[in-house]
Amino acid sequence: MGMKEFQLGEFEELVLLTVGILYQEAYGVAIKKEMEQRLTRGVRVGALQTALQRLEKKGYLKSSDEAGTQERAGRPKRFYHLNMARARWNMHAKPGKYFGRQYRTWSGI
Amino acid sequence: MKDTPDLPPRLPLRFFRAFCDPQIRDFIEGDLIELHRERIASIGKRKANLRFSKDVLLLFRPGIIRPLGFSSNLNHSAMYRNYFKIGFRNILKYKTFSFINIFGLALAMSVSMLILMMLADQNRYDQFHEKKDRIYRVLSDYEGSKNHYATSPQPLAAALAEYPAVEATAKLIPSIGGDASYDEKTKQIGGYFTDPEFFSIFSFELESGNPASALSQPYSMVISQEVAELLFGNEDPIGKAIQFTDRKVPFPLGGDAPAAPATDWGNFTVTGVIDVSKYDSHLTFDVLASSSTLPSLITAAKLEDRREDWQFYFQSYTYALLQEGKSSDDLANALNDIVKRKETEMKSEHTSGFKMDPQALSDVALGLANNDTNFRLPMFAYYFLAGLALVILASACLNYTNLSIARALTRAKEIGIRKVTGALRKNLVVQFLTESVLTALLSLTIAFVLLLALIPSFKGLWVNQYLNFDLPFIPSLFLGFILLAIVVGIIAGIYPALFLSGYQPIKALKSLSDAGGSGKLRLRKVLGVSQFVVSLFFITTSILIYNQFKHYMAFDYGFQSENIVNIPLQGMDYQKLRGELERVSGVSTISACDIIPATGTNNNNELKVLGETSEFAAVGVLNIDRNFPENLGIELVAGENFSANEQSAATQILVNETMVKDLGYPSADALVGTQFETKWGDELLVVAGVVKDFRYKLLMNEDAISPMMLRYNPTQFQYVNVKIASPDLMKTISELESHWKELDPVHPFRYEFLDQEIEATHKGIFDVVSILGFISFLAIFIACLGLLGMTTYTAERKTKEVGIRKFLGADNFSITLLLSKGFLQMLVISVILGAPLSYFVNTMWLENFPNRVGFGIGTVALGSLVLLILGALTISSQTIRVSKAKVVDTLKMD
Repeated sequence: MGMKEFQLGEFEELVLLTVGILYQEAYGVAIKKEMEQRLTRGVRVGALQTALQRLEKKGYLKSSDEAGTQERAGRPKRFYHLNMARARWNMHAKPGKYFGRQYRTWSGI
Repeated sequence: MKDTPDLPPRLPLRFFRAFCDPQIRDFIEGDLIELHRERIASIGKRKANLRFSKDVLLLFRPGIIRPLGFSSNLNHSAMYRNYFKIGFRNILKYKTFSFINIFGLALAMSVSMLILMMLADQNRYDQFHEKKDRIYRVLSDYEGSKNHYATSPQPLAAALAEYPAVEATAKLIPSIGGDASYDEKTKQIGGYFTDPEFFSIFSFELESGNPASALSQPYSMVISQEVAELLFGNEDPIGKAIQFTDRKVPFPLGGDAPAAPATDWGNFTVTGVIDVSKYDSHLTFDVLASSSTLPSLITAAKLEDRREDWQFYFQSYTYALLQEGKSSDDLANALNDIVKRKETEMKSEHTSGFKMDPQALSDVALGLANNDTNFRLPMFAYYFLAGLALVILASACLNYTNLSIARALTRAKEIGIRKVTGALRKNLVVQFLTESVLTALLSLTIAFVLLLALIPSFKGLWVNQYLNFDLPFIPSLFLGFILLAIVVGIIAGIYPALFLSGYQPIKALKSLSDAGGSGKLRLRKVLGVSQFVVSLFFITTSILIYNQFKHYMAFDYGFQSENIVNIPLQGMDYQKLRGELERVSGVSTISACDIIPATGTNNNNELKVLGETSEFAAVGVLNIDRNFPENLGIELVAGENFSANEQSAATQILVNETMVKDLGYPSADALVGTQFETKWGDELLVVAGVVKDFRYKLLMNEDAISPMMLRYNPTQFQYVNVKIASPDLMKTISELESHWKELDPVHPFRYEFLDQEIEATHKGIFDVVSILGFISFLAIFIACLGLLGMTTYTAERKTKEVGIRKFLGADNFSITLLLSKGFLQMLVISVILGAPLSYFVNTMWLENFPNRVGFGIGTVALGSLVLLILGALTISSQTIRVSKAKVVDTLKMD
């Protein structure tokens, strides 16, 4: 295993940070809205979901499931949480481009 | 799960469920549904649906798509790469066979692709209406009808609007056909009277004007951009008055039918402009006028009053917009209810078993009804074409199957090795299918080139001037083409794949001939024979229909049609025009009539001899002047022509010989002077003379000539028939035109030669000949390709045998015969089976065909001969080559 296993793309980093901000409420739609609000640009479901799958695979995120509600036509929700050990490691290793600039999320945590 | 209104569209959702990794599917789907709901609230359902589909498409990416195969830790890509590699190598190695397969499949696929394009072309119609899923057209039907009517009773729209399931209705009455004038400029227009709801149902947008009020006031008119530019130029047409002169030009399917004398309908105010050219719709029009205009026109006796007429369902079109959430069943119930409620008003002879059915707007394009608004191909024509395409496609697939099985030996070793190294039967099936799909995809590229050549000739068919097939390439078509290729590849390859993968590895490796030989010889022969039987059937049918076409062209109509020019009066006074045209040199005689005989239009009346108790009998009616019989060379056999006295001539008739026979009179002379009463008129008609029988109905519609009468009725005249004696026809016609222009500068001079007009009625048959001829060509070509493949293969396999035989002293001829014998047998069997089959099937439909051509053994013999010659040429091209080869070369070959 090389560095590739730990590397994060810009978008992945943004997703990771947003999951951190939302804390207990980080599921697909909520993450999307939060990001759109902070970035003031659209976020595609496809891009977001791919990033979430990758982050979980790399160990940055953990997930837990919750039963569906009426507004989701009975489909379950998957909540994401930061895997703190891994995330902290990354923070020290590689501060992102958006750090402290357009995307004020670190202060949000 | 119930389909509730705020759930996302089903198709993209199903697509998503199909491709998504099941482990994350439900969570993402939940997100999508949640988002979709919010979007419906913020941007509306239509846009939300669009965004949903877009999201689903963008989710189609690695990481989301479900992993392929059963176990995700095995890497199959090397295996598939190997399949492709071997597939390509096989295609390149056996070039002759690959060519035969690819070219055959390409020919067959191009026809199917053309049909896909036709369907796609029709489906682009009426896609622009925002509420298209809720718009329905009401069809009428009566007991024993062959097809529905697109029209419905005029009061229906108002009655239907009262039902709760219906949001809005509009009737379209196609009574506008005449000249619109403004400031000395005149244009012929056609259009509908319609209700203000028209614009809330359909999504035609106005370039200028207010759609909400454009059709509410009487004498309001919405005009097309084209009419606006022609009449108003750069002026703003809104609020200007157009003077309209009605000439009863038939609309919407006007064609060249003649017009009636002009009636002034007064001024219409322009309230809107539509750019009709922007829309592909089954509704086409130059103008729309407000239906509130009707009462005043009816009061002035300029239009017939059908406002409360429930029996007359042949004129007006009714469209309904349903409430959201209502289905066609609700509309059907409402229509049934109306039929029940209005039973007494509807009751009449032609409305027994009358009922009305809803037709969804999306079904209009492929559901042609009687009295429809434009020319389209009826559904059975598509079935017919698709049937032909399928036969051809099956034939090409058979070639592939046949050749693959025949050449099984070339693959036996490979199969053995693969099995020994652990390939399952399943894997081998996939491998062979990969190969066949690869072949089909290669064919697709050639098929596309063929298609490009096919499109112009299809568009050039005579019938397309009415059907207006445009055949544009739209993106989804290419998806259809690729799907077609894949399906064709699988169908062509499935049998060889199952057959080849079933080899026992030990046999396949040990001895080639033990592995099942070249396999299933009998089956291959049966397949080959069936291809040739089908080909023979097509060839015979094409020749037969061509003969029928020639038969019609050379038919004796009983009147002379050469050098006669028919000029539509277009509302002009006959005597005035006649006086003018008579002065042209080169004109010999001039006559007038209301319809051109034998070109498809007929009028009828019902007669009986005065005082007889028998039933009224139907007779054809042609309104003519005194010169007509002489002009067309129709001979009088008894009595005299119409009297020179206008008043007595008006009650006189000339009848044909069939009428004399039908009424049972001993001779034509006996009928002269007989008085007839008519069913609908009160005047009595006296027979002045009897003429020889001549054709006045279409040959295709009537086998024997039926009784008819000729009446002297100048008010009905629509055409002038000018016989030209001068040898320079075109010069005389240009002179006629200049004389026409002096009398009528507005309407363009139109003319048609009688013989050409009659010929044109059979152009449709020639289209069928062209299509069937082309299909026969494909069928025989593909069958011969298959034969070529088989003979090539056999010849190759027997090269050594040929060498030894030659060495021992056999001559070329006997060797050619030896190699060809089996295939020649096949051809002969095909003819023995195919010839009687073609004969009987063709006789069956021909029997019901009026004025049919004689269908003798000659036609079948000609077809068989063509088949035998082409087949023999194909066979000998290979066998002669091998038998002529040098002995040394053949023996050296391995």
